[in-house]
Amino acid sequence: MASETLPRPQAGPPSLPRRASIASWPLVDRAAYVLCWVTGIGLCLIAAAIVLYMFLKGVSYLKLSEFVQSPSPSLHQTQSGGFSDPIIGTLLVTAIGTLLAAPTGVALAAWLSEYGRPAWLARAVESALEMMAGVPSVVLAIFGLLVFSASFLGFLSEKAFNGTVTGQSFIAAGAVMSFLALPLVVASTREALAQLPDRLREASYALGKTRARTIRRVLLPAIRPSIASGVVLGMGRIIGDTAIITLILGATLKNEPANNTPILGALRGTGSTLTSYVYNNSPAGEGNSHEKAYAAAFVLLMIVLALNALVTVLTGGGRPRERRRAGPLAIARWLSWTR
Amino acid sequence: MRVHRTLIASIVLGLLLAVPAGALAKRLIIGGSTSVLPLAQKLATAYHQAYPKIPAPKVGGGQSDVGISGASKGQFDIGDSSRDPIRGVDPKGLVFTKIARDGVCVITNPSNPVSNLSQETVEGIFTGRIRDWSGVPGARISGPIDLFDRDGASGTQDAFQHIFLGETLKISPTASAETSNGLEQNAVSSDKQAIGFVSFAYTAGVNAVAYQGIPCNLRNAKSGQYSGVRNFWMVTKGIPKGETLKFLKWVTSGNTTTKRIISSSWIAIH
Amino acid sequence: MTRIRPASATRSDERVERTLGALAVAVLVVIGLLVVTVLVKAWPSFSYNGLSWFGSGGDVDTQLRVMREGTPLAGHGPLYFRAWPLVWGTALTTVLAVALALVVSTLAAIFLTEFAPARVRALLEPVIRLLAGVPSVVYGLIGILAIAPWINEHLLDNARKQSVAYVVQLNGENLTTATLILTVMITPIMVAISANALAAVPPSWREGSAALGVNRWRTIWRISLRTARPAIAAATVLATARALGEAVMLAMVSGGRAFAANPLDGLTFLFEPVRPMAAQIFQESEGLTIGPLGHTIYAIGAVLLVSATMLSLAGWAAKQPLKRYGMRA
Repeated sequence: MASETLPRPQAGPPSLPRRASIASWPLVDRAAYVLCWVTGIGLCLIAAAIVLYMFLKGVSYLKLSEFVQSPSPSLHQTQSGGFSDPIIGTLLVTAIGTLLAAPTGVALAAWLSEYGRPAWLARAVESALEMMAGVPSVVLAIFGLLVFSASFLGFLSEKAFNGTVTGQSFIAAGAVMSFLALPLVVASTREALAQLPDRLREASYALGKTRARTIRRVLLPAIRPSIASGVVLGMGRIIGDTAIITLILGATLKNEPANNTPILGALRGTGSTLTSYVYNNSPAGEGNSHEKAYAAAFVLLMIVLALNALVTVLTGGGRPRERRRAGPLAIARWLSWTR
Repeated sequence: MRVHRTLIASIVLGLLLAVPAGALAKRLIIGGSTSVLPLAQKLATAYHQAYPKIPAPKVGGGQSDVGISGASKGQFDIGDSSRDPIRGVDPKGLVFTKIARDGVCVITNPSNPVSNLSQETVEGIFTGRIRDWSGVPGARISGPIDLFDRDGASGTQDAFQHIFLGETLKISPTASAETSNGLEQNAVSSDKQAIGFVSFAYTAGVNAVAYQGIPCNLRNAKSGQYSGVRNFWMVTKGIPKGETLKFLKWVTSGNTTTKRIISSSWIAIH
Repeated sequence: MTRIRPASATRSDERVERTLGALAVAVLVVIGLLVVTVLVKAWPSFSYNGLSWFGSGGDVDTQLRVMREGTPLAGHGPLYFRAWPLVWGTALTTVLAVALALVVSTLAAIFLTEFAPARVRALLEPVIRLLAGVPSVVYGLIGILAIAPWINEHLLDNARKQSVAYVVQLNGENLTTATLILTVMITPIMVAISANALAAVPPSWREGSAALGVNRWRTIWRISLRTARPAIAAATVLATARALGEAVMLAMVSGGRAFAANPLDGLTFLFEPVRPMAAQIFQESEGLTIGPLGHTIYAIGAVLLVSATMLSLAGWAAKQPLKRYGMRA
């Protein structure tokens, strides 16, 4: 009763048991632990090596004059000009591809998410887009070449004097490129639309708005950052592609407009982009000036870095607490942009 | 909705206007040999500078066989070829116009500066009979020979076989085939045991071997002493007409511009 | 698809739905046209060669050359083609690269989520994203100018070259270079997905395991990895699709001959040249209008297309178990 003494309050917080150290693990587990560390640090080192190598080579061969000079045919590296035309070419192709893919992608995503009838059509479109995301770009390129060489599409490119349609132009390349970016835009937009709470739609319909109005005025503005990030991812994929450019853009050195009509002439002409310029100047192509190749590759890398930063900013990333954890395959789509 | 209708109408109108403007856009399409490619590109640029109203010809690659068959099928207006026409193999009805001459050099890695090779040794190496550098007089290294060839469609390969190996012998099938002069040059310059052949203009960074005692350079080729010289042709289907004729006439006219361009790395013949 | 609908459908709604539906049909038609055109153009090559299209018999380079020149080989028609070296080369590079990338990426993902100190993690994430975004032509450039010569210098010696010299020539552009660079290309995607999946494992499961006295590694191995398995499978499918479709880098790096590397050669097998299918299409792009050559190239493209479709199906199948855990794909 009273003779039982209560336990004395302890002097301080109870001491925690010592955390089990790795030394107590079995050998297999310890080996796995070391392996993990080695792989992680190894990956870091490889990435650093690649970036540093491109950086060093690029900076050593890059001259500011190259940004403004046009390439000229020459077998000597000092006389072959710069890459102003390929940069313009990259911008043109990206612009055309994005302009075609973005509205189409958003419209498709809105249809899939909000309408989606008949159901078999929606499922077919989903599967087709999924398949399109996995198709190698060379296959897209040979298809594009076939389509644009048809004579009724001759107004989109140029004709040889004997009447054959070349099928190679900026418009053709941009159109094929838009298929690269389309799955990314659709996926981003759909995901964002699915995450919007239903009460937004309920409220809008309760106010008497039609579905079309709701989509245009309520839903799409709400997911603008996601659409933007999807579009930027698509742009990244377009910028990084070489196969379609080499086959469909004709990879001439300079941008050569088809005729003197101001914009349409340039669009129907051929040219090169940074990627085909790097390919041509590497030993694999015909230019054989690896200094220019390194310089152009460096510029490409900087563009990729800038786009990466843009995506991070658009998705409000960096702050772990606020960033909603995207599903694993959303990350997959984010990162599969260059194929 | 009214705004949308106007937008759609203006886009359609714009496209309709573009179509007739488009029907007039024609250009000379040239393609084929990768050896002729740098020359053709320079000539095309100079042609456009001389006649600014005519759009510059578009020059592509693909190697000589693609150039010849492309000209025959109408894919190209002009096909480039760096090998002579072969009766029975080439499609019928083609007209070959010679525009320049070019030399082919045997090349080795700079760390193996073979100074001279006789015809017999070249034959032995490239047909695979001699497999080791120890069997080559003048070689500074030993070990197996890494043979670099060109792709089957290459005119340079045909020219090399014709000039250096004669009509009957063929290059060993175990050789690694490269699809352009640039790739061949890169391959030989990065492999110590390598030997290959390239067009004149691609001998930077590798050791150009003298053939039968005559060094392989532009001067000797121009003077006629170096025997490893081949022709560059522009191929058309039938006799050239219209714009094609204009361009070919300009190239073969021997004016100062073309002479200057061709003589820079090749041999002018007009 | 959302289940929320407005109370009544108006005429403008119906018009918009019809327009958008037409757009969807148009896109579907174009994609369908892609598949149909490639298959139709490929059919002559398959119908001439039958199933032995996939078999071996002769040298691919020679067969393509005679198609270009228009002089068929003795005893065969103009469409004669045996694609085994290409198929084998594709299978080799893809399987080896994906297997290597799977191991490396799983270990790296575990490192990233479990063992890495916060500063290393903050550094590694943007670096991995940068690596995933590098265009393939840049990888090809590094491969052809830096890695292939290095491998030729340091890993290939004369004895090895001599051992196969009567059949094929070895140099820096070989299976090893191609596989290594391909692995580096597909690892970042897999690391990111795996790391994300591992981090999404419910913490209560891991705490429960720790409470039972299981050490950290065993917890990761038995609990986290198991949970993340569907996501890792989906990541593998994605990486395989990318490896299959990689044309430019492989065309620059993988060797001057379409050769079926022979595993019976022992270690030398790793240094033999290969030519994957996508690289072959890319290299032959100029000859597409030549009749038999065009059909053959489209046939190779058709094989790639069918493989990509099957991979899509596999990806869909891999995503299904994710739904069980309520994880969003």
